[in-house]
Amino acid sequence: MRKWLGLALVVALVAAPAMAQALKGKVAVVLDVGGRGDLSFNDMGFKGTDQAAHDFGLEMVEVQSATAADYLPNLRNLARTGQYDLIICVGFLLGDALAQAAAEFPQQKFAIIDAVVDAPNVMSIVFRENEMSALVGALGAMAAAHYGYPNVGVVLGIEIPVLYHFEAGYRFGIDWGNKKAAETLGTGPVGLLYTYTGSFSDIALGKAATEAMLAQGAVGVYNVAGPLGIGDLEAITEFHRNQGTRSGPPYYFGVDANQDWLGNGQHGLASGMKRVDVGCYSAVEAVVKGTFTGGITSLGLAEGGVGISKFVDLLEFIDFGISAGALKPEDREATIANWAVNRGTVPAWIWRAVDELEAGILAGTIVVPTADTVDEMQAVRARYTLGAP
Amino acid sequence: MGVNGYFLRAERITKIYSDGTVAVRDATLELRPGEIVGLLGENGAGKTTLTKILSGLLPPTRGQVVSPRGRVRFSSPREALEFGIGMVHQHFALVGTFTAVENVALSQERPLAPLQLAEIRAKLEALMAESGLRVPLDVPVEKLAVGEQQRVEILKVLSRDVALLILDEPTSVLTPLEVDELFRLLRRLRDEGRAIVLITHKLKEAGSITDRVVVLRKGEVVGDVPTADVTSEELARLMVGKALETRVGRAVELSTEEIPVHAHDREREGRGPGVLHVEGLSVAGDTKPVAVHDLTFDVYGGEIFGIAGVEGNGQTELVEALTGLRPALKGTATIRGKNILGLDPRQIYKLGVAHIPEDRWVLGLVLPFTLAENAILGVHRWDEFRGPLSILRWRRINAHVRSLMQRFEIQATGPSAPARSLSGGNQQKLIVGRELAKDPAIVIASQPTRGLDVGAAQYIRDTLVEMRDRGRAILLVSADLDEVLALSDRVAVMYEGRFMAVSRPEELDRETIGMLMGGVTAGGKR
Amino acid sequence: MTASEVQPGGRLLRGVHRTLTGLHPALESVLAAVVGLLVGAALMYIWGYDPWKAYWALLRGAYGGSYEIASSIARGVPLVLTALTFSICLRGGMFNIGAEGQVYVGAAAAVCVAYFKLPPGLHLLVGIAFAAVAGAVWSLGPALLKLTRGVHEVISTIMFNWIARFLVFYLVAYVLVDARQGQRTVQIPLSARFPVLVRGTDLSYSVFLAVAFALFVYFLLWHTATGYEVRAAGLTPTAARYGGISIRRTIALSFVLGGIGAGLAGAATTMGLPPTYAIISGLPQLMNLGFDGMAVAMVGRNHPLGILVAALFFGGLNAGGRVMQFYGSNPVPLEMVRVVMGAIVLAMAIPELVRVFPAMAASGRALVRMLSRRKPAEEAA
Ligand SMILES: Nc1ncnc2c1ncn2[C@@H]1O[C@H](COP(=O)(O)OP(=O)(O)OP(=O)(O)O)[C@@H](O)[C@H]1O
Ligand SMILES: [Mg+2]
Repeated sequence: MRKWLGLALVVALVAAPAMAQALKGKVAVVLDVGGRGDLSFNDMGFKGTDQAAHDFGLEMVEVQSATAADYLPNLRNLARTGQYDLIICVGFLLGDALAQAAAEFPQQKFAIIDAVVDAPNVMSIVFRENEMSALVGALGAMAAAHYGYPNVGVVLGIEIPVLYHFEAGYRFGIDWGNKKAAETLGTGPVGLLYTYTGSFSDIALGKAATEAMLAQGAVGVYNVAGPLGIGDLEAITEFHRNQGTRSGPPYYFGVDANQDWLGNGQHGLASGMKRVDVGCYSAVEAVVKGTFTGGITSLGLAEGGVGISKFVDLLEFIDFGISAGALKPEDREATIANWAVNRGTVPAWIWRAVDELEAGILAGTIVVPTADTVDEMQAVRARYTLGAP
Repeated sequence: MGVNGYFLRAERITKIYSDGTVAVRDATLELRPGEIVGLLGENGAGKTTLTKILSGLLPPTRGQVVSPRGRVRFSSPREALEFGIGMVHQHFALVGTFTAVENVALSQERPLAPLQLAEIRAKLEALMAESGLRVPLDVPVEKLAVGEQQRVEILKVLSRDVALLILDEPTSVLTPLEVDELFRLLRRLRDEGRAIVLITHKLKEAGSITDRVVVLRKGEVVGDVPTADVTSEELARLMVGKALETRVGRAVELSTEEIPVHAHDREREGRGPGVLHVEGLSVAGDTKPVAVHDLTFDVYGGEIFGIAGVEGNGQTELVEALTGLRPALKGTATIRGKNILGLDPRQIYKLGVAHIPEDRWVLGLVLPFTLAENAILGVHRWDEFRGPLSILRWRRINAHVRSLMQRFEIQATGPSAPARSLSGGNQQKLIVGRELAKDPAIVIASQPTRGLDVGAAQYIRDTLVEMRDRGRAILLVSADLDEVLALSDRVAVMYEGRFMAVSRPEELDRETIGMLMGGVTAGGKR
Repeated sequence: MTASEVQPGGRLLRGVHRTLTGLHPALESVLAAVVGLLVGAALMYIWGYDPWKAYWALLRGAYGGSYEIASSIARGVPLVLTALTFSICLRGGMFNIGAEGQVYVGAAAAVCVAYFKLPPGLHLLVGIAFAAVAGAVWSLGPALLKLTRGVHEVISTIMFNWIARFLVFYLVAYVLVDARQGQRTVQIPLSARFPVLVRGTDLSYSVFLAVAFALFVYFLLWHTATGYEVRAAGLTPTAARYGGISIRRTIALSFVLGGIGAGLAGAATTMGLPPTYAIISGLPQLMNLGFDGMAVAMVGRNHPLGILVAALFFGGLNAGGRVMQFYGSNPVPLEMVRVVMGAIVLAMAIPELVRVFPAMAASGRALVRMLSRRKPAEEAA
């Protein structure tokens, strides 16, 4: 009898902390004012969390923000309930609000994508966007050299540190591609055209910036401004129509998601993928497995957090697009075919060179520079001027 | 027409407004084809309310309006028109930026159909010729004088083939000649078998044109008799009721006599000093390049200077120029030696000017404002009503309003009643009261007694005369020839921006004036 | 048989219209709110959400406790100020939709206090003054265009809104930008912030600024000769002119006062809204405050005291709307929440809209007439 009692006591003692640790069964995703439907950043945050919730048998709620004034209240509202195992903030703009909420609710676990919030209960998930941007930059530079275009372009959003990662990596990649092309073809370096539009929402700005770049002979435009890519692609599509071509340069370089399939895959050559979904998934996974810790989790090529788009992701994201209603199911095959034709317009040596760069980065033999502040960015710009005086 | 021989019948109508005012009380009234009914009553007796209910524009609180076809209820004047009821409102329902032709077109059966403007114009021209009511057809109506707008309203309704025509004080801004022609037309319409309701404060008119009179007192029908069977005296008695005998006597006296001539002491020695001096004044009009031509005249303290004439001959522009509402083209105008041209109204009021405007809805009142707020319009910056920091002294203002209400017998629920809820005559009393209470050096009065019942009109006239006797100057502009002749010490007849004559009233007979008003000089046609 | 029996529907409509127009304002608002809630409920039902659970979430989220009430009030603070901007000008006879741009400019001016140091209280006051002056100056543009060139304020204020938008975009991105945080401007220092009033919520002392300004506007409009002139000019400009009132003066005054209100809203959302205390690039915390203020003005019948109540209601809708997204077993996505809120606000604004725009009323009547059209001639035959 006593033995049994003793055992029960032991079980209770052991179980008590375990009970406290037990999952409540709910996770929340909080989005910034951009909201759902971008087929990119926010949708991927949703998708990754949703997938994780599904895999681990959790309930998921999604909370959008009508205005920036809603960020903090949304976090507080969720945290106050005490019902959530994890609250994921998708997007850099939620950083300030999370810093405050994390301090107010130290028992609540949070994760944030793209920002660093220094609190023990916040997992800050950042990406090494410079790595995949370098791959895109190299691809663009070599394609330009191959076709004799003087420039490659990039349309950026608001000038924030995250975007410096892209710009720095892209610059490095172009420079690397220039050298490779000089070796292979003996061509001179191509230049960089870049514009910070100051917006993550005004599609017209993306279109206008792209048009200007195309007029200056850009072989392609890298979209680093979320929804503005729609405008970028529109400008490129119109350019092709006027020029009477269906594939080949100028190209569209997508971002965050695999956007190659946009516009039925005709002009999307490659995308600099930033797997927000992977980040969200891994945060939920960490909570479920009990490995959650505060601090920075950096995801790069090595962790599968970033990458340049491949055929396999294309299929995954085509299905993503179809389920979101952005692509008609009957266009699936044509899109894949278009994409293959477009990829074929870039010679094999270039693709091999891109693979070489990727391998170098993975092996650590090539280190891609990055920038987090204006000063660091200036330093990178000074190092890789790319045609600018 | 209905088999019962009536066109429309009001059955035990009671109207209680949302503020609790009982405007009509258990009124029953029948309108028959081929009959002109006069609707009489003091200001605020409920005439306008009753006719609005008759034409279906206002729902009665109790009772109903029936036609042989059934109960009548409309939600717009056009709907009533389609039913065959046309009403000429005391206050007009015209679209200011539209011309007369367009306004008439708006009231047509299918206003959205391609407008048959030419057709309507032809119809209007025929009507103008027939009725003697002439208006400019191609000018936005907001640019027209009140009398002209009144004519547009009448033409608008006449242009429709209505079975029942209701006219709410149509004659108050018409000249005698125009009234005669309008009446001729009304008789013809009656003879064609239409029903007509005419509201008027002029017993003489009621006696001359109506077949039957209905008298309202405090919302109740106190008399419904064939005109032939009743004397003006009895009518006046009915209207006023069992009030003080003196008041009855006064009403009777007023109803039977002409407006008493006030210039008893016309021969008074030496009128006062010159107050208003106008020299070579020309003013542009909205519709004419020059509406006032090179006028020169003086108005002295202790005198009433009357301007007679058909509306639209420059009176409006003259008054507006003198009160700072309209720039002058050339000339000078001074008040007590100080130039007034180019000043704004506030500066002019400071010189001791009171202005009773001809259009009470456009100029005289801010309709959504309360009585109290309206009572300080133009004097709201006086120290009496305004304390430090520009704070309004509502207690004093309300006391002021109460005294105005008492003195000018303004019927309203109180100082905070919206001016909109006042009857037409009471609105006029409010304006006149406000202006006369300023005790100004000069009163510029346009149609001061328009829409007032006999008693109230006489009180205002008495007040004007009393002010004159205290040495004030009064510039009286009126289409009511009787009024001008009875009150004025000197009369000017205005035609197309010029004075055809300036003389003592007793030196002018009505016929001469009538000719002068039509632009015919004694010497012959112009 | 009778004319009206033929069209009972028309009669019903007219009856409703008549009943509505004679209602007590408070009753009318309640009725309108009920209609709006019912429409919202119908929409949610159609799209498969449980309206009662959703409204319960809304109610709980809006007024369920002190935290919720404080959050609702906080959300209403800038709206009080922008609503006043609209209402002052409407009372003065103008349709000023420039609050939006004035908020931006006011906020940008408030942020400028980050560049100098002052003792705590004073720093805050200087920031408020900056914002007020900036809003007023920005408002003077349309006022001057109207007074000197006769440009209609609707057109000029829309233009000024766009100019303000891009101007402030520029300022945020290049001039006021925080070098370490490119996504926002420099932060307003502690000494120039409105202290938080209820801990753990957004509610700061800026609420007193909003209430004080509303009371000030009320007093000015209804208890001073100056406000009397503004109202008279707004209602009947001809009569106002006759009454010796300078319309130019009242126009300028209402624009400036309105600009001050909107500028203060800019101050409240930068100096008084945790956690950022700066303008975020793209202005996501300022966007639409001016336009939402117009809705609040309408619901509040363009009366300062009504606006206070309406802003509390509106703030509650917004705060409760956040909660509707995750509350209980019936989460309603933000898009749907916004549709429902739109229905409620529209229903509540309609009575005032009808009063304010006679043209609108006329078209409304035309509609009723169309719906209840009858042809007496035919029936008589
Ligand atoms: N909209 C309203 N709200 C409240 N009371 C009103 C309204 N309209 C009229 N009244 C009141 O109803 C009464 C009758 O008004 P009505 O306009 O019918 O008088 P009336 O006989 O036409 O007078 P008048 O000769 O002055 O035109 C008045 O006491 C008036 O104050
Ligand atoms: Mg009347």
